[in-house]
Amino acid sequence: MDEWEKIEYKPIPVRTLLAEMKNLSELMIDLAYSSALFHSHELAKDVLELEKRVDTLALLLKMNIMIAARDAKDAEDLLGVSLVSSSADKISDAAADIAYIVLHGIGIHPAVREAFERVEERLGRFTVKPKSILAGKKLRELRLASRIGVDIIAIRRGKDWIINPKGDDRILKGDVLIARGTRSGIDELEDLAQGTLRELED
Amino acid sequence: MDKEHFQKIVDALVELKDTSELMLNLAYSSIILNSPELAREVQALEEHMDDLHTRFELLVLSSGFSPDESKDFLGLIRLGVVTEEIADAAAKLGEVVLRRLKPHPILKLAVEEAEETVTSAQVSEKSILNGKTIKEARIADETGMWILAIKRGRRWIRPKPTTRIEAGDILIASGYAEGEEDFKKLASGNKEKESN
Repeated sequence: MDEWEKIEYKPIPVRTLLAEMKNLSELMIDLAYSSALFHSHELAKDVLELEKRVDTLALLLKMNIMIAARDAKDAEDLLGVSLVSSSADKISDAAADIAYIVLHGIGIHPAVREAFERVEERLGRFTVKPKSILAGKKLRELRLASRIGVDIIAIRRGKDWIINPKGDDRILKGDVLIARGTRSGIDELEDLAQGTLRELED
Repeated sequence: MDKEHFQKIVDALVELKDTSELMLNLAYSSIILNSPELAREVQALEEHMDDLHTRFELLVLSSGFSPDESKDFLGLIRLGVVTEEIADAAAKLGEVVLRRLKPHPILKLAVEEAEETVTSAQVSEKSILNGKTIKEARIADETGMWILAIKRGRRWIRPKPTTRIEAGDILIASGYAEGEEDFKKLASGNKEKESN
């Protein structure tokens, strides 16, 4: 667990590195809150794994910035990139701190659950029943974000997790979906996963 | 702990969480839109956050908990710290604009390339949003985009469910890129895609 990965320079576009850091850090916050809300050690462990990934990305980004800067002007221009990268890194650290609370048996007070019921953006966790119309569909076909305003942030399949699933990923019966979105969207997703709601309107 | 005290803790935690995430979204928005005003709004919220956080910690510590319960209350304190960390990171992001670092093209591209995007749109007279409250407008349900802030004239408004949207308001919204077009259509009142 505590192995330090050897870090080697790789020529990856700074833009790609930064976009991935931003995506991951925000995803991690949602996953971390989900791990607290649903008392999930697995999710919390994933958050810690992702935190290592963000650390690696941050180092790669630093190296690429160093190589990209040829003069004082470049250095000034790239300073903003460096600031954004360190902010994303900080955010991922904050997410890891939540995961730590979950993994080290520090309690999750009932007020936390109550607070999550109240916020505008909701998190939900649902098992896909065999009769659900979600079963067997690719995320791309479902277009849940534009149709019902929810985003699947993770899928648990048996012991495996698919973190930040993409359009090509398919939902299977028995999958556990971790989602976030509007209150009405999360309610709708629950009915869809249950199989009580059998159609998706545009 | 009585019910009233419990509710106060919940309220404070909700506000901490919401404010920290709002700050993060506004900070990224300030970079994409290259808006020092938005960045200053983030700095103002950071000060507000400090007050909120202190109030939250005092509430938690004055709950009169037993030694058995102390772990649960430690968890609350730690969550409060996390929201503060997120707020700090957001304030740091706002610095990029405030220090007038030239928004490097890479930066804009990377932030825009990310799955969640921010956008702004002006509400036209004929928009169905004109005259509706945030709650009535159901923008999140319709488009999957959330209103982060409203600029009315020179004033910034933090939207509450009861806030009424007026023609001329500039709405700053964040959400998944696929909802952006729908959002712009709602604000412009045009069925067809806006050219700008």
